[in-house]
Amino acid sequence: MPSEDLRVDVGAIERSLSEIWRNQNRDEAVTRAALWNVIAHTCTSDEHANAAEVLCEASASVPQRTVIIRSDPRAKAELTSWIGVNCHPINGDKQVCSEEIAIIAGGELVHRVPPLMNSLLIPDMPVAVWWVGDLPHEDEAYVHAMLDPADRLIIDSAAFDSPADLALLTKIAEQTTTAPADLNWVRLEEWRLAAASIFDAREMRPRLQSVRRIRIVATASSDAPPFGENVGALYFAAWLSVQGGLTAATTDYQFERRLHTRGGGIAFVEISFEDGTSATIRRDRERSVLTSAIDGVERTPEAVTRSLLNRPHELISRQLKQPEADRMLVKSLPAAAQIATRMVR
Amino acid sequence: MPVAAPPVPEVNPLREGLEQERVPEASCLVIFGASGDLTHRKLLPALYSLTHDGLLPAGLTIVGFSRPDYTDDAFRAEIKEACNKYSRTRPVDDAIWENFAKGLFYVKGEFGEAESYVRLKQRLEECDRTRGTGGRRLYYLAVPPAFFPVISDILGSQGMVTDPEKGGPYTRVIIEKPFGHDLASAKELNRVAVTTFRERQVFRIDHYLGKETVQNLLVLRFANGIFEPFWNRQYIDHVQFTVAESIGVEGRGGYFDSAGITRDIVQNHMLQLVSLVAMEPPVAFEADAIRDEKVKVIRALRSLPVERQTEFVVRGQYGEGSALGEKAVGYRNEPSVPPESRTETFVAIKAFVDNWRWADVPFYIRAGKRMPKRVTDISIHFRPAPNPLFRRVPGVRVQPNILAIRIQPDEGISLKFDSKVPGPAVRSAPVTMEFRYATSFGGEPPEAYERLLLETMLGDSTLFARRDEVEAAWAWLDPLLAAWAGDGEPALYPAGTWGPPEADLLLERDGRRWRRP
Repeated sequence: MPSEDLRVDVGAIERSLSEIWRNQNRDEAVTRAALWNVIAHTCTSDEHANAAEVLCEASASVPQRTVIIRSDPRAKAELTSWIGVNCHPINGDKQVCSEEIAIIAGGELVHRVPPLMNSLLIPDMPVAVWWVGDLPHEDEAYVHAMLDPADRLIIDSAAFDSPADLALLTKIAEQTTTAPADLNWVRLEEWRLAAASIFDAREMRPRLQSVRRIRIVATASSDAPPFGENVGALYFAAWLSVQGGLTAATTDYQFERRLHTRGGGIAFVEISFEDGTSATIRRDRERSVLTSAIDGVERTPEAVTRSLLNRPHELISRQLKQPEADRMLVKSLPAAAQIATRMVR
Repeated sequence: MPVAAPPVPEVNPLREGLEQERVPEASCLVIFGASGDLTHRKLLPALYSLTHDGLLPAGLTIVGFSRPDYTDDAFRAEIKEACNKYSRTRPVDDAIWENFAKGLFYVKGEFGEAESYVRLKQRLEECDRTRGTGGRRLYYLAVPPAFFPVISDILGSQGMVTDPEKGGPYTRVIIEKPFGHDLASAKELNRVAVTTFRERQVFRIDHYLGKETVQNLLVLRFANGIFEPFWNRQYIDHVQFTVAESIGVEGRGGYFDSAGITRDIVQNHMLQLVSLVAMEPPVAFEADAIRDEKVKVIRALRSLPVERQTEFVVRGQYGEGSALGEKAVGYRNEPSVPPESRTETFVAIKAFVDNWRWADVPFYIRAGKRMPKRVTDISIHFRPAPNPLFRRVPGVRVQPNILAIRIQPDEGISLKFDSKVPGPAVRSAPVTMEFRYATSFGGEPPEAYERLLLETMLGDSTLFARRDEVEAAWAWLDPLLAAWAGDGEPALYPAGTWGPPEADLLLERDGRRWRRP
């Protein structure tokens, strides 16, 4: 549960947080905990409120110091801050509490945000920057300043508006020490599990190299959906190609759209092999599972993969629970950017 | 020239980066004793949870084998109820269950009747044809140890066991403790095992090794640079191990009275903990490398001098008292326990690991039933700092640092150290730095059986007791158990206390005391 936020002087944030802890009721069993410094970068008040809610929920499973920044160069020049505490019960009578700091910066004062943010990090704890919304690829310098202390950059490529965002993410992965993490990629985990289950049987493994066509049907919110709605399907195709050792010369990629109120999710995958047989993965929304089946192989029963919970705080928590960079995303990013370029052409 | 087929990748490349990078191949798991408590409370709920989390292959097939008459559907219905009650991932998800249940079968049979095995074999071969299990077999013996020779003999004679030396699909057998009653019976059990199976096909389950906190002992010691330099006789004064249960024998009076706490807990769980705390760094993170080091510790345990056992060992038995606020009967009044029983429900041992690292460092071990609470705890007591600086400062009492590892419940690690009490006077007080799994990682860790079943399917025996470990543990305890069989009475302690006063004396004589876990 979040506490009432307290407006404090920017220069007195740490001191004010210490006072909050000192004034805790000593009769209550409260543990102050943090495994991460998580900084949410937002631009609007809606994004700010949403990020605060998501990170409050995420702190129940990954205790963290949360810093939420609303930075808008077009707003009036100001720099203000609030502090609060998010507490969650564990084991009945105990509570684990995480700190939350909110910073609102406008006008030219936005340039004071990166050093202020640096001063608020708990030492020796990793730093994740969650960039809410689209990555401003047109202002790379600002992005890099914000990412300077970051071990991880969390984005949601569903919000990307152009292949240039994907290219910037690839560049960050290749040229900086900040490991990218994409909530859109985390949403694919159930599809990756379902695809992997097709090739678990020893006799199926060599067939991975004989894939000739990957057909992905994804939902789209309109006939001309925003770029971000394509990224899930691009990632899936890229991952399968990279891990299966497939090339554009031997593999045909087919992306199809199915109109749906919520675009961007994969609905069906067909993997066709050299011998004319195929494997399919389909989502069964009613039963909340994905089922994988292989044509012509009767000895292997259908695999059922549980749909994973994909609410934003669960996606963030799953990312933060991974101690290391997601090497599969890093491996798949260049291939996804490449396929995206071909798609645009 | 014919083109050679590409080699089959050893692992599925699409599993890379997923939570479980290796998924076992589909196999038939036969549970002997499928109608029993262990199957219902632990094994099948664990298998269901693994399936729920996508960690098992689609074709995994489970065949229950026991005496009662069930149809496949009746067995499934009973197991579904058990999973709804006991699985970590309860309540059961219908879609996952439906698919899991398709691989769940039952064969009625007698453990000692060859004909039953013919039916079982037919069912397994049918599964190979329909579910892609490829002749791979896991036999889980959730049965009393007396049935082990019978079952393994018939499995062998019916051609249901493959020899790994000859290649082909694997056969593995999983057995539950007790691994014998003493050294002789353990050796006999092991001899029987290797007439049908090779040692690497035998997986002896000690469920303590499946616990996250027990596995964390290796990470704590060998992945953190700060601990290992201090992990020896130069810096450690002594080590304490406590396995306490608040319950009594809970309907197991007959079995427990023939075993006692030393056989039930110390021979297996506690000596596993001792070996993990005291072992040298293994040369590799591999099953045999780790078990080689563990067995060296057990072999290095100094023989307990039976003729002077009161200096090293205390055995106790609970009398009437109260536990967790309820009146508790004495052990001898428990159902199925003879009124004149001399079986120990508490034991405390002062042990020494006679090697270079641990020479003369006491390892105090205690295990008991009907103690104030259920707790398993290891504490490393460091030598105190030399005290000249604060000797004449009245407010400072230099106390030893303690690293406490809580195995269960509320798993975690804490470090106790002294700190100055704020204020003008120089006064010190002990404070603790705490790490709790639930606080840092949230959620429930997987059940020990989940991990152990998965490892068996993957063929990794790191978390299982090896034959020589089991025999070395019995060899250390055998003289003591033999002496107890002869004469002497356990000291009485009231239910709900930390054991008889003699257990406190055992440490007080050394100028130490039990840590209250």
